Amino acid sequence: MSTATVGRRRGREIGTLVAWRLGVAVPVVAVVATAVFLLAAWSPFDPIYQYFGAGVFSAGDAAIANARVQLGLDDSVWSQLGRWAGGLLSGDLGQSLSFRQPVSTVVGQRLPWTLLLVTVGLVVAVVISLVAGVTAAWRQGGWVDRGVTAVGHTLEGLPPFVLALGAIAVFAVAWPVLPVAGLTDAGAAPTVDQVTRHLVLPAVVLGVSQTPWLVLHVRSSLLGALDEDHVTGARARGLPERVVMLRHALPTALLPFVTVLGNRLPELVTGAVLVETVFSWPGIAAAVVTAALSVDFPLLAALTLLTTAAVLLGALLADVAVLVLDPRVSADG
Amino acid sequence: MAELDLRRPVVRAEEPWRPAGRRRPGTLRARATWTGRGRLVAGLVALGLLVAGAVLIPWLGGLDQGAVDYAAVRQPPSLAHPFGTDAVGRDLFLRAFAGLGVSLTVAASCAVISTVIGTLYGAVSGLLGGWPDRLLMRAVDGVNAVPHLLLGIVIVALYRGSVLAVIASIGLTHWTTVARVVRSEVLSLRSRPFVDAAISGGASRRRVLGRHLLPAVVPPAVLSSVLILPHAVWHETALSFLGLGLPPHLASLGNILAEGRQAVLLGSWWIVVFPSVLLAATTLAVAGVAAWWRDRSRPRRRSELAL
Amino acid sequence: MITVRRVITVRFVPVAVVAALALLVGACAAPTAGPATDPASMVLADGYEPDDLNPLLGYGEEGASKLYDGLTALDADRQPQPNLAASAPVAAPDGLSWTVSLRPGVTFHDGTTFDAADVVATYRAVLDPAKAATVASGFPMLRDVVAVDPATVRFDLSSPFLLFPGRLTLPIVPAEQVAAPGPASDLALGTKPVGTGPYRLVEWRQGSSMVLEANPAYHGGTPAVRRITIVFATDDNTRAQRVVAGEFDGTVLPPALARGIAGQAQGMVLREHTSADYRTITMPFANPVTADPAIRQALNRAVNRQGMIDALLAGQGTPASTPVPPVLPEEVEPAAQFPFDPVAANALLDTAGWVRGADGVRSRGALPARFTLMYNPADTVRRDLAQAFASDARTIGVDVRLEGLGWDAIEPRMGADAVVLGGGNPFDTAFKSWQLLASANAADGFNNPGSYRNAAVDQALGAALAAPDRATRAAELRRFQLAYAADPGMVFLTFLGHSYLTRDRFDGYRPVVEPHTHGTTWGPWWNVERWTPRT
Repeated sequence: MSTATVGRRRGREIGTLVAWRLGVAVPVVAVVATAVFLLAAWSPFDPIYQYFGAGVFSAGDAAIANARVQLGLDDSVWSQLGRWAGGLLSGDLGQSLSFRQPVSTVVGQRLPWTLLLVTVGLVVAVVISLVAGVTAAWRQGGWVDRGVTAVGHTLEGLPPFVLALGAIAVFAVAWPVLPVAGLTDAGAAPTVDQVTRHLVLPAVVLGVSQTPWLVLHVRSSLLGALDEDHVTGARARGLPERVVMLRHALPTALLPFVTVLGNRLPELVTGAVLVETVFSWPGIAAAVVTAALSVDFPLLAALTLLTTAAVLLGALLADVAVLVLDPRVSADG
Repeated sequence: MAELDLRRPVVRAEEPWRPAGRRRPGTLRARATWTGRGRLVAGLVALGLLVAGAVLIPWLGGLDQGAVDYAAVRQPPSLAHPFGTDAVGRDLFLRAFAGLGVSLTVAASCAVISTVIGTLYGAVSGLLGGWPDRLLMRAVDGVNAVPHLLLGIVIVALYRGSVLAVIASIGLTHWTTVARVVRSEVLSLRSRPFVDAAISGGASRRRVLGRHLLPAVVPPAVLSSVLILPHAVWHETALSFLGLGLPPHLASLGNILAEGRQAVLLGSWWIVVFPSVLLAATTLAVAGVAAWWRDRSRPRRRSELAL
Repeated sequence: MITVRRVITVRFVPVAVVAALALLVGACAAPTAGPATDPASMVLADGYEPDDLNPLLGYGEEGASKLYDGLTALDADRQPQPNLAASAPVAAPDGLSWTVSLRPGVTFHDGTTFDAADVVATYRAVLDPAKAATVASGFPMLRDVVAVDPATVRFDLSSPFLLFPGRLTLPIVPAEQVAAPGPASDLALGTKPVGTGPYRLVEWRQGSSMVLEANPAYHGGTPAVRRITIVFATDDNTRAQRVVAGEFDGTVLPPALARGIAGQAQGMVLREHTSADYRTITMPFANPVTADPAIRQALNRAVNRQGMIDALLAGQGTPASTPVPPVLPEEVEPAAQFPFDPVAANALLDTAGWVRGADGVRSRGALPARFTLMYNPADTVRRDLAQAFASDARTIGVDVRLEGLGWDAIEPRMGADAVVLGGGNPFDTAFKSWQLLASANAADGFNNPGSYRNAAVDQALGAALAAPDRATRAAELRRFQLAYAADPGMVFLTFLGHSYLTRDRFDGYRPVVEPHTHGTTWGPWWNVERWTPRT
């Protein structure tokens, strides 16, 4: 088989995979949207209070009744759902009540910072877990291995906010070399230098909180890979252990790692919610908490849909990456 | 983020290359089995101790959830208060264990809900097979695509101030792992000779279900519900930490830790450290059980777990 | 073998990229010096962000708003001084009208000239029911405002009001800004304020920050602090964290937290202000338990006010039994203070027929002594006070169920469930008490949310407001306190101390007794327009 044929077939496979996944994603997002809307519609929360705010007490009954009609709150749940979905499809995400801005503006302003945080956090997590995982597997059973495994399992049990509190204890109180809150120093413009310094702690905490599963995974799949024939073969040819490990075993172990990374996106988002809150990072994940505390349904719903789409996309990207990287995998959807 | 690692990712790619049963002598496998069993025992013992502590310590110590002590605000650990006291002078030793109890109770309720939903869902999916099975499993993907904490936050935000909402928000989002385990168990049972034999022997569908499938499905379902525990505890603490969980005056690990931000700035390290240790200990104990479970199930059901 | 090698190399590329990125991030992360700060600018953090900047909806009602001026402004001794007025307002002999001559040569931020028409338009907008101005509840005595000439206005009252000049702190806005029909909440002023104040709004990123710039045309001279950035951070701990990191030139913090971190925040001074800012537990009359006089009397004696202050507020506060603060000793009635006396409280409940059950909770007939207390958990002081109150109530067999809720959820329920409420000002306690406790204001939003009704209180407060002189007024106020204490409608806990950290880099600070409103309007920065950067 020539390389060109392989390439063309690979392209077709990726195309099929993407089309199939997108086909699945659309109904999934639709179902999530419906479910979230129904949850809200059946909740004890009455949007009329949000509309009037404190003014609901001074507003007359007639004004309230009028607003109910205007907002269509007395229509059936399904026609309200239809109207809301129609708005979503036409790009109108509604008005955020807690930020007093259109939802799209809130998302537009805050999403980039979350993407930055999550990306850097992911990079940190990948680097740490590769280094620690490889070291642990290399000296399997040694003290490094035991240390890494023990620390991994302990971190597994600690929510990211505990790590964040620890980081604050160190950097706000004991050793103030890094800023512990915000995107920039107060009042400063978001320059590269400013943002970078403020990014360090949140990103490292987010990254480290994701590490345990990745480290343990890298370690165990490396150990598995060490059993494989081509590795044994490499050993038999007398190649140095370092070369065997990094050139032969690691690549085999890395492929499932990519899949795992893709599947961990929901956890990364979850971690971002906590980390952004503790570090006052002005991202979209912290906005989830603000929105929840003031029952800002339009924003909550939009963010739920956004993350759902992001997670589906992440899984898809991981699968495509595996396809691209590994000639042996065939795309079965 | 105690995501259950039941679906230990399996290397689809490596299967064709691996000759069955070939291992490097004296490596991972033998050791893992031994440590697995060791960790199971250690995990169960630790879990038992923690549960006993959560039940007995607040009771023996005569914990009064509502009482504050103006004379003992933010005191460091001492003989009278082994874990110190919090911002309104409550003893953290009692409160942290009571909090563990509350968190575990909430988590256990969630685990039960998840297990019931997951078992039914998985069993139905596995028994139906074919396209309904595929459809149901895609739906599971859909649920998994929404980050659990986010969905939990939405539920709790809309039904504020209700403990039931907290339980529901966790229970309704964590059944998918159980569903997958049960489904694979059912699938593998369906293809076993004794089931075929029972069916060809004229046993009714219900009898096969009741006598052969159900008993086989229950143990893994129960186990996976135990494995959900730390994740549920984790979720409760995260929600409470964000101010969206249990009411702040109720002792729970999350509520105690929510005070931690202030405590850290004021140097009251004990308010963060002790509850965190309890939290980590719970997860580690259950992780012991989980490790044993993975080792036990790995050789037999490896491919089925890789859904 | 060659193919395998190639594949391996390709697979390594992402890893290498990742590692390089990480190194890059690490390199950039090296700590560098903070931004060079302009000595004439100031960055403050506030825990509260106004919903809107419209004076008709309450912004800057008590002055010190920075953006607006009232006809009068309160000085450090809480006395109204002429601000947009040229001289002190003059009352007619019958007390039914006040004449104010206006300061000449004042311009608004938009360049238009300030005159009597603006004053008349502002106050008429307050009185106009169609505007639905929330500050209208502050002017029940005001009948009309007329322009005598372009530099003089006359306020006509329906009844004499001794401290009327103190009510004239209401910000004045240009006439054309309030000309539009429809409710005040629709006015552009809400987000684009136009005033005559020492600062004008440059930018307001809602939910994040606000930038104010010195008004070069300010009638008191251009402020030396040229630029004030106010960062909104609702969480107390976040502000504390960031002020310790040296990010702010000042912020407001709960007393215990402020004291705790004052030592860590370099270059900052701790400013602790006394206030008339009470925290009280409402006793709604629609709830059969809290409506019971014995329960209210008993709870007032069961709470350990000094204990709460010492333990939860780091000693920053004074016990409160009525809305009249001890900073106004001439108005305080010593006989109306509740002692901490759980024994007497228990005896009161026993006499009233509240019997202790097996679980320690009292009940009368089928009615258990149990009610819900709501509090906003974002405010740690209110949360701690709620927990302390519930704990004290339990000692006398009253079961207080706590619910931490957002204000949106609290407001609709204030008629039937108790809430931890704050308010108060040291300028006109008679009027504040009237708003909070008079039956005329029952269930009017946060005015008397529990619908407390007490004829003797109504009568005494009415007499205090209409009093012809200070002595009579003080006497009537003391009579009000006795009437209130005989049948207390709330459980006042404490007048809160307000704590701030401010950077020790400016001169001009003057201590002040604060109203409930604080943060970056009142607070150490109440007279920031007269501060000067130290060189």
